[in-house]
Amino acid sequence: MKVKGFFTDIGGASRVTKAREAAINNASAKADPVDPIRALADAAHPGPREYTLTKVYDASPTSKTFRFEPADGHVPVFQAGQYVNMHFQIGESVLTRAYSISSAPCEARPGKHVSFAPDENATSDKPYFEITVRKNRPYFVPDYLFEQAAVGQKFICDLPFSDFFYQPLRDSKNLMGLAGGSGITPFASMAKEIANGALDVDLTILYGSVKHTDIVCGDQLEAARAKAPDKIHIVHIMSDDEEWDGEKGFLTKELIEKYSKEDTTYFFCGPLPMFNMLTGIMKEMGVPEKRFRHEAMQQPTNVKMIPGFPEDQIGKTYKMTVVRGIAETVADAKADEPVAVSLERAGIPIDAHCRGGECGFCRAQLLAGTVFVSPLGDGRRREDKEMGWFHSCSAYPTSDIKVKIPII
Amino acid sequence: MKFYKDHYDVVIIGGALSGLSAALQLQAKGVKDILILEKHNLPGGLATSYVRGGFEIEATLHEMMSIGPKEDRLKVGAFFDEMGVDIDWLRVPEAYRFVEPSKKIDITLHAGFRKAADEIDAQYPGWGDKVYDFFLLCNTVYDSMNVLSVTPMSKLQMLKEHEQFVKTAGYTAYEVMDTFHFPDEIKDILSAYWIYVGSPLDKLPFTIYAFLYADYLRGGSYVAKNFSHEMSMKLEKKVEENGAQIEFRQEVEKILVKNGHVTGVRTKRGDVINCDYVISGAYPNKVYSQMIEPASEVPARAIKQVNGLPLSVVPVSVMMVLDGTPEELGIKDYNIFSAEDMNMSSLWENEKSIGPYKYLTSICLNLANPGCCPEGYTQFSITALPLVNAFLDVKEEDYPALKEKIGRELIAGYERMTGIVIHDKIHEVEVSTPVTISHYVGAWKGSIYGNLHSMENHAVARLQMREEDHVIEGLEFACAAGMSGNGMGPAVTNGRAAAKFVALAMEKGGAAK
Repeated sequence: MKVKGFFTDIGGASRVTKAREAAINNASAKADPVDPIRALADAAHPGPREYTLTKVYDASPTSKTFRFEPADGHVPVFQAGQYVNMHFQIGESVLTRAYSISSAPCEARPGKHVSFAPDENATSDKPYFEITVRKNRPYFVPDYLFEQAAVGQKFICDLPFSDFFYQPLRDSKNLMGLAGGSGITPFASMAKEIANGALDVDLTILYGSVKHTDIVCGDQLEAARAKAPDKIHIVHIMSDDEEWDGEKGFLTKELIEKYSKEDTTYFFCGPLPMFNMLTGIMKEMGVPEKRFRHEAMQQPTNVKMIPGFPEDQIGKTYKMTVVRGIAETVADAKADEPVAVSLERAGIPIDAHCRGGECGFCRAQLLAGTVFVSPLGDGRRREDKEMGWFHSCSAYPTSDIKVKIPII
Repeated sequence: MKFYKDHYDVVIIGGALSGLSAALQLQAKGVKDILILEKHNLPGGLATSYVRGGFEIEATLHEMMSIGPKEDRLKVGAFFDEMGVDIDWLRVPEAYRFVEPSKKIDITLHAGFRKAADEIDAQYPGWGDKVYDFFLLCNTVYDSMNVLSVTPMSKLQMLKEHEQFVKTAGYTAYEVMDTFHFPDEIKDILSAYWIYVGSPLDKLPFTIYAFLYADYLRGGSYVAKNFSHEMSMKLEKKVEENGAQIEFRQEVEKILVKNGHVTGVRTKRGDVINCDYVISGAYPNKVYSQMIEPASEVPARAIKQVNGLPLSVVPVSVMMVLDGTPEELGIKDYNIFSAEDMNMSSLWENEKSIGPYKYLTSICLNLANPGCCPEGYTQFSITALPLVNAFLDVKEEDYPALKEKIGRELIAGYERMTGIVIHDKIHEVEVSTPVTISHYVGAWKGSIYGNLHSMENHAVARLQMREEDHVIEGLEFACAAGMSGNGMGPAVTNGRAAAKFVALAMEKGGAAK
């Protein structure tokens, strides 16, 4: 077909070329290397950076709070409920561990805020974040923090991560935090943020402990509640404490119903058995799925708790060939430990974050051999499943394996 | 420990569609010694997905153009077939539904020139044939563009063989459309895709408009069954099978240049890697202003080029999983473009703000890919495409609240224009902005659409000025700033073009040696 007579003009190509030439010739010859969008992205997600341990204080007779101040004075903006990924070099091992941040986001902002730390109860204008760790049984990283970490020591910290926080586009304003043991820490962060007037929600915390002396962050929770008694409600439940005159027993449907408000969004942080129990309760209560949020759970160290785990593998050790670029490293891999742990034991860095299979930071390629992937929190993409990629924090070798991981 | 060889023939910066396609094209031409360095821990760049609360969610792709049905593959589909990259394509059911309440327009167009023209005729009787003629003109220009973007030819030959292309090259989309004297309603209906090229139609070269409309209406559009991550993974796998080395989480910070020739790259980690050629997924803006080392190797012409050609629009999206099936939610269309009023200049002004945005596009993925969610859920996104300048002053402290505001406003705008209520059905939600894009893929100012298409930066001019734009020997670009422009289809073509230029230089004796 022919275009209308209007288009007898064949000079268009030359004209637009001249126009482009002119646009370029008339432009400044001074380079402008500033990219404010990347600067903001980097400020919000700076990656692993150095922080100094500046304060350690008791959060209960068996737990401690560790405060970290950034070397460059900047803690990225985070949401109450998110976690920090701590990097450790302990002996030959290079490893990472995720901890929910127990301080409030506003404590990380320059300027004055109430800290609620025991000997401060005033204002502080140094940005920092805190984690609270319980020592209840021999365990690699808590042992290190309790016994070796000293004020003044430098740590590599990477934050923030996770979508375990109040999302106003999705969640109702009535939140209920369901916590057991040190699973209280994200709710401590939320409570302090509310007390500082920086988070506008109503928060009820149902917190299960064995005895009242096991309560983690109890003083800080109470101080926050006292500051915002209309918005923060704390219910302690003791499973085995004769002296306790409050709620006793376990977190039950009756207790949850008793303290729930209309259209509540439930947040849970704690161990797998408690999650399984609460999932059942939520179903019985008819709580819509989207109103029950939970933090990624680490794969249980007792692999028998993982549904479908091939128990005949327990105790076996395989050969693991690790490919990074053109380099190959050979190491042992225990069949009852995730590939990520074997890598860490071998001193090979793998940037695992959630350690529950969900986040995918430790994504790796299986080049040869077989692995069992835990169905708990399996966050692999469909095509990754089809093509043999796995998340190394939740995959267990079932033969000699060859894996490719990023060079870190 | 040594992770890299001492030398590679070609280093490709970025394992996104463009970089992977460049690698495939090089491999097809016999170039095997290739290293791809990707910032993220996944291939594909924006052609990717993420998992939230057990749902896999498509990150950015609305629809893949230039694929075409098996029996009439278009350029990109044919290339993937030829390379042995077998993607499970699902056809998107309609081209688009367009809703403009102020003019009482509500129409759905399907692929097929005659079909779409008939659908317009059904609502605006008597105009179908003219619309059809218009589509055929678009198609002629489209065919020419596909030839010319890879085959240089003389002006005379061009005029002989690609007459309509030459004759429309100097005009905007509206200027050409106006010669058909369509009523305003039809003009608006035929403008719906404008935001995908990020230029108002009184400024957009008709050439680009024609490419876009002909491609979508001729071949329809497609999505991959296992999300665009499937496409990215299958491309990556093939590239690796063909012998290339791919390393994730390696951001290239510097391109090393000596006496006007590329000599290597340096990564953020500190690895220095020698090579003869670099194909950069990073825009010229970033390369010339930040990456060339030493900076004195950057000619003034290159700086003027990036300063003189403004960036195109960037997406802001709210991506959701909704409780309920599309049917229960009342969502009937895969893709709806909506505007209260299709006044181009006021819409364009609106794109310079941080919202609320007046021109929205929504995607209900279930309607092309019913298996994208478990039964009873709907995967749904709403996107606006503003100019990045509105975001340059955002402070870190204010950013979370800005994301919430954008999400809320996109949802409210969609509900207002379509009458479909979704805000109380949100099961999972994430808002993405240019900052999100910058974080994951490192794109310059979070920009994914390259340079603004305009009569001052016309695709035809880019083709003509290839030599002037090529200022450093051994350096090619495979990104949205390439000759074929923006979008995931053109990304593939841009990558292939970069590979062809590298292969050509290698044949000539290795320009960088």
